[in-house]
Amino acid sequence: MAAYIARRMIQGLIVLLAVSMICFVIFRYMGDPVVTMAGRYATFDEREEVRHMLGLDQPIYVQYWRFISNAAHGNFGKSYVSRVPALGLILERFPATFELACTAVIMAFAIGVILGVVVALKPYAMRNRLIMTASLGGISIPTFLMGILLIMVFSVYLGMLPPFGRGDTVQVGAWRTGFLTLSGIKHLILPAATLAMYQLAVLLRLTRAGMREVLTEEYIKTAWAKGLSPMKVIFKHALRNVLIPVVTITGLQFGEVIAFSIVTETIFQWPGMGNLLLTSMYESDRPVVVTYIMMVAVIIITLNIVVDILYALINPKIRYE
Amino acid sequence: MRKSIFIFLSFLLIGAMVATGSALAASSIVVAQDTPPRMMNPHGDDSDAGLQYMANFFDGLLQRTGPGGKLGPALATRWEHPDLLTWKFYLRKGVKFHNGNPFTAADVKFSFERLSNPEVSEFLNTGKSIESINIIDDYTVEIKTKKPIPWFANNMHQVFIMDKESTEARDQGDVMVKPVGTGAYKLEEWVKGSYVRMSANEEYWEGAPSLKKVEVRPIKESSTRFAALVSGQVGIVTGIPVELFDKVKKNPKLEIISRAARRSIFLALGNKPGSPMADIRVRKAMYMAINEDEIIEKIMRGHATPAAQIPDPPTIGYNGDIKRLKYDPEEAKKLLKEAGYEKGFEVTLSGPNDRYVQDAKIAEAVARYLAKVGIKAKLDVKPKSIFFPDVAEGKLEFYLIGWFDGTFDMGRTYFKLAHSRDRDKGYGGLNGAAYGDPAIDKLLESTADIVDPPKRKETLEKLNAMAMTDKIIWIPLHYQEDLYAVNKGRGITFNPRPDRWMVYKEISKK
Amino acid sequence: MNNHLIKSRMLYSYLHDPSAIIGSLILVVFITAAILAPWITSHDPYDLEKVSLEHFLTPPVWMEEGMAQFPLGTDDQGRGILSTIVYGCRTSLIVGFGVVLIAGTFGIFMGLLAGYYGGWLDSVTMRLADTFFSFSTTLMAFLLLGVFGPKGIMIVIIAICMADWVRYARTMRGSVLEVKEEAYVMAARATGAKDLRILLRHILPNAIAPIFVVMAVDLAVVIMLEATLSFLGVGVPLTKPSLGMMIAIGKNYIYAGMWWMIVFPGAALIFLVVGINLFADWLREELNPKIERKA
Repeated sequence: MAAYIARRMIQGLIVLLAVSMICFVIFRYMGDPVVTMAGRYATFDEREEVRHMLGLDQPIYVQYWRFISNAAHGNFGKSYVSRVPALGLILERFPATFELACTAVIMAFAIGVILGVVVALKPYAMRNRLIMTASLGGISIPTFLMGILLIMVFSVYLGMLPPFGRGDTVQVGAWRTGFLTLSGIKHLILPAATLAMYQLAVLLRLTRAGMREVLTEEYIKTAWAKGLSPMKVIFKHALRNVLIPVVTITGLQFGEVIAFSIVTETIFQWPGMGNLLLTSMYESDRPVVVTYIMMVAVIIITLNIVVDILYALINPKIRYE
Repeated sequence: MRKSIFIFLSFLLIGAMVATGSALAASSIVVAQDTPPRMMNPHGDDSDAGLQYMANFFDGLLQRTGPGGKLGPALATRWEHPDLLTWKFYLRKGVKFHNGNPFTAADVKFSFERLSNPEVSEFLNTGKSIESINIIDDYTVEIKTKKPIPWFANNMHQVFIMDKESTEARDQGDVMVKPVGTGAYKLEEWVKGSYVRMSANEEYWEGAPSLKKVEVRPIKESSTRFAALVSGQVGIVTGIPVELFDKVKKNPKLEIISRAARRSIFLALGNKPGSPMADIRVRKAMYMAINEDEIIEKIMRGHATPAAQIPDPPTIGYNGDIKRLKYDPEEAKKLLKEAGYEKGFEVTLSGPNDRYVQDAKIAEAVARYLAKVGIKAKLDVKPKSIFFPDVAEGKLEFYLIGWFDGTFDMGRTYFKLAHSRDRDKGYGGLNGAAYGDPAIDKLLESTADIVDPPKRKETLEKLNAMAMTDKIIWIPLHYQEDLYAVNKGRGITFNPRPDRWMVYKEISKK
Repeated sequence: MNNHLIKSRMLYSYLHDPSAIIGSLILVVFITAAILAPWITSHDPYDLEKVSLEHFLTPPVWMEEGMAQFPLGTDDQGRGILSTIVYGCRTSLIVGFGVVLIAGTFGIFMGLLAGYYGGWLDSVTMRLADTFFSFSTTLMAFLLLGVFGPKGIMIVIIAICMADWVRYARTMRGSVLEVKEEAYVMAARATGAKDLRILLRHILPNAIAPIFVVMAVDLAVVIMLEATLSFLGVGVPLTKPSLGMMIAIGKNYIYAGMWWMIVFPGAALIFLVVGINLFADWLREELNPKIERKA
């Protein structure tokens, strides 16, 4: 087991290095920061000086080596735009993205799974058919469109909910939270709903499909026959078996969540990491973009390893050699 | 146990709500601006969007005030220009930094020397043009430049003075987020991406400002800014998008404040020998093919004034005699035929898509007008961070760009935009299509030594006329208009500055 | 084999399932409209010469100031909304089918090899696939396009294919692993048939069924993805707007009350995707009892 973990970790590291290398090569095409950083009126020589200071006049493998060795020490370079360490810039915004993503995931999970169960039990009831139709809409409306539609309805026409920003936030230690103010919570509603909608619909359909299958299995029928209370049957037996693939998929969809949070943050101008990524891309702020990608890569690879290990624990037969 | 935790948490919640609530109530004004500050280091961002924030926390040796942007004393009470290379500034006494340190010549020397450090400054050109800084006494400073720079003092409202002692003592990261200046406001809180809160400096040398608390919310999306205004969340909004103008006008609670901007938008054309644009007739044809009035009417929604040149009226070098060529696509086609391009030609039109008002849309419209006279313009619009490096490298054929010069002197602009690219002398750094004309170069270079204002004015005006009428270096389009909206009924008195800076000591509220 | 029976059974179920018929009908309508675009629209909104600023921002014909020439109104450059929607659908469908074909072919190929040969080929391929996949198609496409910029449809297709091939490879591999053990495959091997022949004649036709479901679902996913990318400004170029870009343009005008620039393209997009999803749902139900569902 330990050997397996070690092997996966080494593989993960290789992937990380590969990702960083690709990043580096690609970002040569990402625009030249020197012109902006040297100022509008700089002469050619002054620009060369800035280029030299940034180390951009070195051949690419030297630049790459410097980046890797610095990264190993936790130094990911300074943002070209803000001139402060890139990693710090990104981490500063972590609470905002985390609160948004967590709220959305919890919303999607709770509502999606519960509705999925409800619908599976009585598939032909009118209400449930409506829910299924709505879920079809849910997976057919891209996140950005959902966000815009929600803004149109709730902000522009009804004026009920705010369409941008986090509202008033409170600094609790190193964490800036929006949960502690009414304004903060109000501002969270639309973005979280937007981000949750797609996942919710997917989970709903998945749970329903899984439940339908499981409900026809022999052991469920046995439990019915034994006279166990329906609630107990559903939650203890059926749901548990359905949850495994559901949870796995949710875990592996993390990449999707990150991608869609970028879209959501952009539409609602939520000051999170995704918003920072987009602005940094437009401003060709290479250090921030590269750092962001590396961070995402680390999280995703770690998540994958954890899921794989859990799988291996659950079923010793499933192990890639 | 559970009950007491619950009570504790409720108190926390209520306390937090009350705390933030009261902060807002005391806030004298909330403003929505279109760009956020990049950092609190006054030398690190040479764009007007950044400098305007700094103008609240810091002062320069001089400042510009009034509708014409007149240069006047700030941290320097007067200045002299004894010879071509020397500038002497007499400093104001009794000024204190926000941390209590007194302002002296040492701070001036420190600030100017810092300009040459590429790690912290985007004012490299200004910094490197200085030969030496002499502290004559605590309140007198003498600066010598390497070459004569006629507009040197004109730039002093953009160079802010920092406190030597605290800037050297702190680590760089702290300097980037906490400003220590002499300005009218102190920074209370900066939550990146959300707001900047500042409070009045009661000991400000010019007298404490009337607005005691200001909260600036940078909102990039123009329609969102508008929403903030309509919902009453903010008192002033800068940069109303042109398409929402009518909506704002119809709203009785809102008031529009507009002023002609200093920035002109124009098209730059290369003139490589052998290319179609090397022929003056082709350039004239392209000029006449563009229906600028329609662009102003439809794309800018009437919020622009046609331009015949690049500098605006207050700038030295502005020549009121230069007139626009009329829109005449038939004549344009004739000229093209004469020049041998009856079938037209292909060209790539580059431009930014996130820098100027409706920039990408204007470029699109230009491409369409050119298509109607047979010129196939391929559009290449991209973010400014990729576009401006292209301009700096001089690789473009034909592009859209905007400009205004904070020094009110056309010479500086022309050296960067019109002079042929000359690496050694450092000219033509932003001549993106590598335009080159020896006559222009010669006349331009001759102005470098002219400091006598009337003579300077005359020569620059002559140069301007040559550039626009004889050579058609650029096709001018229009001057933008700055649009602001204010929530009526809050007693806000606001006169926008020509450079679009939001300087809060200039705004008052009843 | 029993293909004949399967096909006629499918046909029966198709004709009796309303959602399947509606779904495929919608799809057919959109595809037809997209192909016939130049003939059914009043003007080509992608042709710079034909568009004029004169009629910009007009509302739909039934509102005051509407014009009959532009039944659904115009956008801010004077392009007719209806015409742009038709052309935009073209873009969406080209990208959708393009990715499905390219990523599909490549993925099927990789899945076949990995599943059949196993060993290091399998583990390397799957490792690679895992890496690409975990970044999620959206993120990868976004990052690639964010760097290279909106240079045209081909680049968009390639960027999306980069991570999308994985779902085909995975499904194919799983399917192959099962079919591999079937009697007829063993028999073919025993008689000394060459690998290629086994792969193409025996394994592929029998393992391909789940791929069809993946293709249908993927079509919907890719079309939505293209819309998202265009909305963010990293998809199609500004002068040839697709549905996503139309919505991006229209977003600036919702506060001015000009809702038609968002509602109509949005509705078109939703309809198209719903149609595909309806069809995909039916397909999945159809092919389900015979094969295990793959993740």
